[in-house]
Amino acid sequence: MTGSESGQIFKKRPLDGIRVVDLSRVFAMPFAGANLADFGAEVIKIDTHHTQFMDTTRTITGPFPDNDPGEAYWERAGTFHTLNRGKTSLTLDLRSEAAQDLLKDLVRVSDIVLENFTPRVMARFGLDYASLRAVRPDLIMVSNTGYGHSGPWSNFGAMASALEPTHGTGAFMGYLEDSPNGRAPEDAPNKMGNSYTDFLATWTALTAIMASLLYRARTGQGNWVDLAMYQVGVSYAGEGILDYAFNGRRTRRMGNRHQSMAPHGCYPCQGENQWVTIAVRDDADWRAFSQVLAVEEGFGGILDEKFEEPLGRLNNQDELDDIVSRWTSTQGQYQVMEVLQKAGVPAGPVLNARGLLTDPHFRDRGYFEAVEHPPETGLGRREYIGRGWRLSKNDLSITKPASLLGEENDLVLHQLLGLTEAQIQSLEQVDLIGKTPVGGTAPATVSLERQVELGWTVERDPDFLPR
Amino acid sequence: MTESAGSSTSPANPGQGILEGVRVLDLSSHVSGPFCAKLMADYGADVIKVEQPSLGDVARRSGPFVGDDPHPDKSVQFLYLNSNKRGITLDLTSSSGKAILKELLAKADVLVENFSPVDSKNLGLDYHSLGAVNPELVLTSITPFGQSGPYRDFSATDIITCAMSGLMYHSGDSDRKPLRNVLDQSFYVAGANAAAATLAALFQRLNTGEGQRVEVSIVECLASHLVQAVPYYTYMGAIKGRRPVRGSGFEELMPAKDGYVVPSVQGSQPWPVVAELIGLEELKDERFATGAGRIEHGEELKELLIKGLANWDRKPLFQASGEQRLVFGMAQDAGDLFDCEHLRERGFFVEVDHPVSGKAEYPGMGPKMSAMDFEFRYPAPLLGQHNTEIYCEELGYTPSDLVNLRSGGII
Repeated sequence: MTGSESGQIFKKRPLDGIRVVDLSRVFAMPFAGANLADFGAEVIKIDTHHTQFMDTTRTITGPFPDNDPGEAYWERAGTFHTLNRGKTSLTLDLRSEAAQDLLKDLVRVSDIVLENFTPRVMARFGLDYASLRAVRPDLIMVSNTGYGHSGPWSNFGAMASALEPTHGTGAFMGYLEDSPNGRAPEDAPNKMGNSYTDFLATWTALTAIMASLLYRARTGQGNWVDLAMYQVGVSYAGEGILDYAFNGRRTRRMGNRHQSMAPHGCYPCQGENQWVTIAVRDDADWRAFSQVLAVEEGFGGILDEKFEEPLGRLNNQDELDDIVSRWTSTQGQYQVMEVLQKAGVPAGPVLNARGLLTDPHFRDRGYFEAVEHPPETGLGRREYIGRGWRLSKNDLSITKPASLLGEENDLVLHQLLGLTEAQIQSLEQVDLIGKTPVGGTAPATVSLERQVELGWTVERDPDFLPR
Repeated sequence: MTESAGSSTSPANPGQGILEGVRVLDLSSHVSGPFCAKLMADYGADVIKVEQPSLGDVARRSGPFVGDDPHPDKSVQFLYLNSNKRGITLDLTSSSGKAILKELLAKADVLVENFSPVDSKNLGLDYHSLGAVNPELVLTSITPFGQSGPYRDFSATDIITCAMSGLMYHSGDSDRKPLRNVLDQSFYVAGANAAAATLAALFQRLNTGEGQRVEVSIVECLASHLVQAVPYYTYMGAIKGRRPVRGSGFEELMPAKDGYVVPSVQGSQPWPVVAELIGLEELKDERFATGAGRIEHGEELKELLIKGLANWDRKPLFQASGEQRLVFGMAQDAGDLFDCEHLRERGFFVEVDHPVSGKAEYPGMGPKMSAMDFEFRYPAPLLGQHNTEIYCEELGYTPSDLVNLRSGGII
């Protein structure tokens, strides 16, 4: 934590007093909800104890501690805990009208609703914006879908791994070299992966919510955000689209190269699967860079006059990249970063998760935050990713681990909605609410050795210590 | 806009964005800060872009350019990221420039900058100084590594921040190098993170009456995407990598007749629906019906998949998949998207007439909202286009003051 430059910290977080009903599943909107919780909102995650309709991040997504789902598997998945930290938990089987009515009662006393069902599901539940606005006129609601609530594709389902190339960013990404697996370099798009599109939706939802809260404070009006991940994704490729609109250019794939910088790329370092990135922006960078190499035995060729001018470097990139690779191959990735950054040249290691968790900069800034989980989970203390922003008069951090399934059923139904103990019990009896999953078993896992064979993971760290 | 989010409820204040009345000074350049300020502008904030006299934003000099003419008002990156803003010039290094900035600050709610920590300090853009001028100001600073820590003063371009955030290690194919996206995605992501955090600080101001500093680290924004890779390590000690080239080919880019598609078994449909759609009899084999079977017989399945997909063009397959409640994807390029009937019907593209670059349909706003209809109020500004409007009409300088400031190189 950098804390406040003036030393002053506000007593309340920015969203203190804001209540969020989070109906969402999987990655994009749950993560928006988690960030709202970090900002101080009270976020009630609506889930169900019917395993068939439970958030799949509790089950099939994993990962589980040491790859063991354990008995209480639905409380033990690492991605779930990343995306649902700070939230309280209410179970409701929304297929029933009684549960739908309870949800409306909850919306009546809430500020924000997050959901990512396909349009027809919310309409079928009678929980679309028009219905919810009838009980809460100034409601702010984000409906996140693949393709939005209007247009010919509006009822199509979607997932980020298929959306990423569909919304065009993949067209601006591809290898220059021949592919060992038969993909032709000149026409093969690629992906950033990591469910990239989901997070574009996360940041978009947060921005829209904050803008809507300001709008509501000024006008007393709510807002419905029809968030189509496809359309949001295209807005991240906007300059590429505009290049087509003006110039008719459809793609711009150049491997790891850059239109005006050279050398520019990702180069191998000592060790297996170790890489460093380098970007020589201009002549000043080039002078510094070439001097670093020139003093090394066997790299005098870097001073060749054909590399002196930017155009010469761009036109001789193959040769230049060979020299750079030959040099980086004798170095560690952090060594290259240190020596080039000292000379003022942009360079940095390609870090994996272990690299991030152990990197001195990320550690110094306290980016990863430790959370102590309740004993029922058997998770102990784990570290989670933090967030990309710091507000100088707040000490934003993860407020608490995700609640256990249905942990706040009584609290929400009794204290917020005024149900009696008997009424809550009868909801349990008809299985509208519940704390123990019905109808499922622990998800099957694939052994870590097999995962390495299949290429799902690169390696298992033998020195892995639970963080 | 018909059939918009507004179809169920008409905008409360048509023609105005929901951030109407919020004034943003955008002192930033290139992508991260400009995208942050653009998002606020698209929501209706009054954004004034402040550029260094004569040179302007570095994005003005980066291609591609309209008609491949390297003219400062023809960079498509600049045009895209600075539409809906007004533009003025001001030399922030001069004492007169600093004095004028203070006048601008008095009326501003937000200042966005993405100078290096050293440059921003030298320019006097620290919160201590700016907050003294306007205690309600939200100062948003975006840098590659944040304002503290051992790398705070390191230099970086997009490829460096993609690498050091962990994103790039996981991007591309497992049997090849990590791969970067050409479109500076780390800077876009950071801009969106910055916009959300800035607006949160503005919302908090309603309760406290005070502004604050919002500090954004580009690598930390992108590292937030690793909601699988990080717990894979902290829960199992397993290192996730780039996408495997082995396996069945599902959820991966696979060749079709006229390009690439992403076949998928996800969604809530059983395997026979997937097999039926692709339309190859051999795919209906029981061995492929379960997830475990598809892993076990991955290589064989991939061969069949390639054979089946070779009969399909991208779009008919994509459409058929959607209608069958499957979630296939297809690789689209900029031209495909520009002509996309779905985006067209949602009114995503909006014509903008720029005085130098001319007319074109620009991509509009990501989300649609019931409370506002998106519109382009201004094309991207020419360098100093709104100097008279802001300095004379708003701050009360006379035309002859402006001449003096210009000859002094201040504006």
